[in-house]
Amino acid sequence: MSDATIIDRLVIEPTFTTPEIIFDPNNRRFYIGGNSYPENSLKFYAPVLQWLDSFVHKHKPDKELLTLEVRLEYFNTSTAKVLLDLFRYFEALYEKGQPTQIKWMFLQEDTEMEDAGLDYQAAVKVPFELVPINEEA
Amino acid sequence: MTVSYENRLLFRHEGPLDMEVLPIIVRNLDKLLAEEGIRPPLRRKVVTSLIELAQNIIHYAVDNQDYPPLIALSRSDEGITLLTRNLVYYSQEIFLQSYLQNLMQMSRDELEALHHNTLTSGSYSDSGGASLGLIQVIFKADKFEYELSCADGEYAWFTVKATFFVKSHE
Repeated sequence: MSDATIIDRLVIEPTFTTPEIIFDPNNRRFYIGGNSYPENSLKFYAPVLQWLDSFVHKHKPDKELLTLEVRLEYFNTSTAKVLLDLFRYFEALYEKGQPTQIKWMFLQEDTEMEDAGLDYQAAVKVPFELVPINEEA
Repeated sequence: MTVSYENRLLFRHEGPLDMEVLPIIVRNLDKLLAEEGIRPPLRRKVVTSLIELAQNIIHYAVDNQDYPPLIALSRSDEGITLLTRNLVYYSQEIFLQSYLQNLMQMSRDELEALHHNTLTSGSYSDSGGASLGLIQVIFKADKFEYELSCADGEYAWFTVKATFFVKSHE
């Protein structure tokens, strides 16, 4: 059993301007979805980055794939920057030997979101999959 | 630059702007653009540009009830035009003039490189901003204009007009 089990899960409920965040190591569910344009992104994401920092330090790699799903709607540029900081923690997990991937989900016709995903894919050293979604849901 | 509404006005907000009002505007604009048949890539460009310009207003504009900020969206044959106008201090006017002149002289490749460098190695402002907002709006818009005009000795009006061509997204 991984030491990750000793870390409480992190759950943040969505608002109109902030995303739903579920980091649940026991169930291997890591998810960020919804809008993200808080007034101060750094302040909003500080506890999330803090949680990830703790998780990365305590987690002992295992064989099970750890996937972060990102399905954002509208997000501001400061969120874009914080996301890169956040992805670095998943990069650190991958570098520790944990099979890790990031799934960037976007509406198939939304080339803007696809381009944003491609930028992240080029910037991080962790398997980064772009996942087009057919329906506007 | 002339601030006029010769095009079809889709949306206009002139009044207080804060993080309570912004999500309402975002939802309304998203719905209006969808009703106009604007598909997601262009809709995203317009709405995220609005978010950046509005959050700049929230963070940096002069808070003066007599001169509230303005956000307007219009449609023409050319495309969708987003207009914002707000009051800034004279000291901000000097900074904006120099900052925007510099950005607008850059090629698309240079803007993209600046965006990438700021995203990957830039620092955050005191308000948690990434200093990417105006860079992104200039990069995403097909046409970007701004005007800084005297309001009185202490203040200036800062007007931004960003146009997004519809045809290039069809």
